[in-house]
Amino acid sequence: MSAAGGKLREEQLWFAGAIMTGAALDEAERRLTPGPKLGPRERLDVYRHGYEARLVECLADDYPVLKHALGEEAFTGLCRAYIARFPSRSPNLNAYGRHLAGMCEGFAADLARLEWAIVEVIHQPAGEPLTLETLATIPMEAWATARLVAGEAVRVLTMDHPANDYFQAVRDGDTPPLPGRACSAVVVYRGGRTVWRMGLNPAMHRVLAALIARQPLEAALSLAGDEPPERVTAWFREWVSSGLFVGVETG
Amino acid sequence: MANRFGLPDLGVGLGLRTVHYAHIVEAHPEVDWFEILSENYMQTAGRPLEWLDAIADVYPVAMHGVSLSIGSTDPLDRAYLTELRALRDRTRARWVSDHLCWTGVSGKNTHDLLPMPYTEEALRHVVDRVRAVQDFLGAPLALENPSTYAEFASGQMKEWEFLARLAEEADCAILLDVNNVFVSAFNHGFDPRTYLAAVPFDRVVQLHVAGHTHHETHIIDSHIGPVIDDVWRLLGDAWRRAGGASVLLEWDAEIPSFEVTHAEALRARQFIGGAR
Repeated sequence: MSAAGGKLREEQLWFAGAIMTGAALDEAERRLTPGPKLGPRERLDVYRHGYEARLVECLADDYPVLKHALGEEAFTGLCRAYIARFPSRSPNLNAYGRHLAGMCEGFAADLARLEWAIVEVIHQPAGEPLTLETLATIPMEAWATARLVAGEAVRVLTMDHPANDYFQAVRDGDTPPLPGRACSAVVVYRGGRTVWRMGLNPAMHRVLAALIARQPLEAALSLAGDEPPERVTAWFREWVSSGLFVGVETG
Repeated sequence: MANRFGLPDLGVGLGLRTVHYAHIVEAHPEVDWFEILSENYMQTAGRPLEWLDAIADVYPVAMHGVSLSIGSTDPLDRAYLTELRALRDRTRARWVSDHLCWTGVSGKNTHDLLPMPYTEEALRHVVDRVRAVQDFLGAPLALENPSTYAEFASGQMKEWEFLARLAEEADCAILLDVNNVFVSAFNHGFDPRTYLAAVPFDRVVQLHVAGHTHHETHIIDSHIGPVIDDVWRLLGDAWRRAGGASVLLEWDAEIPSFEVTHAEALRARQFIGGAR
């Protein structure tokens, strides 16, 4: 294999630096030829603009509701800062936006975490769901210590703002005001090819989080506190029926 | 089977896009073949692969990548190649293609198809890398002529000469994008027929067509909208010179319904002799 050096590498380092960071743009005049209608610098700018636009578009695809919440201008500004801080180092853009919540504050951070959870479950295998029929085969004496195995395409989020309610309202075509602080929790999961979100009250969150953490069934269900047993049973059946779990460990 | 590699003429196909997944899987429209964007199904274990499996079970597919970065001076990415080969085997793709370009350097990816300096040094570099990739894949690699908007002053030959010499010296296949020929011809001021006259057509296994966006001062290969007649005519010329090759429409933005997209692709038959 030929050496990866010399003039070719030097030209690539310049070109990439120019379009990604705007470095040494004045060198375009000597490094590039003029075209029939555009000068060297204008030709370079086609690539500069394309670079940024492509990554902003990628982030907008992953964070459509955050874009709605912030507005076009603020969202684009956020994206520009993100692109400068996190240049892509991957062959594809599937995980490019994973750090965006870390560059947001308050409600925007919660909303970004929710939207990224959706991206994550899309790219995780759904797995073969555990069924209520399979659970029914577990001997009664094994129930207390049995542990459920959550699917890989399941994310539970706790947030300081009702981001899921806001998300749903925007998806329904509304333009809700940005919400104030209020603790909330949501489970994001994939059922077949569809991504679902299910709001969780505090008791539901405690129980589901414990189940996903593979705590024994009896201990996890006891975290429901004063909730009536039939209600807890209904939650449990819904979670299992929704495909949040893919296995059960006994013994 | 006109090409020297014995790769099949699959007919007139479409670039597989997410907005059409459900229609394809549910309605099973009659389509000759699909081209998949390789990277869309890499570094994922989830829904994209589930859709792809359902479609590749029914239709012939070929793989088209955008991140091989064959012209980069960074080392070839072995993890990428390993995943690429696994995807090829999973989908039973008829061939694997990418672009005559580089996409980044120093480990960073611009996700754009950046122009090569058409120099002897670059030619030696790319020839060596194409051979290495073909050895890894155990199959010929098809390289596509990119659309370009800038040209290095250091160039020692024209793109068509670079492509022809690369194909001969690396013994690789060519995916000839006639829209890219048209776009680059406008942007650089050459006659597209000069380009076609230099292409070793016995190496052309696939032809691309697409719409583009004309900005008066330059043309962007946007893959938006219908194909203009000048590009269709280039397709017909290229198809005849190749003695037949698989044809593929790319439509990547403002994508209409599957029926409209497919109808546009099928216009190709008017320009390749209506043989199918």
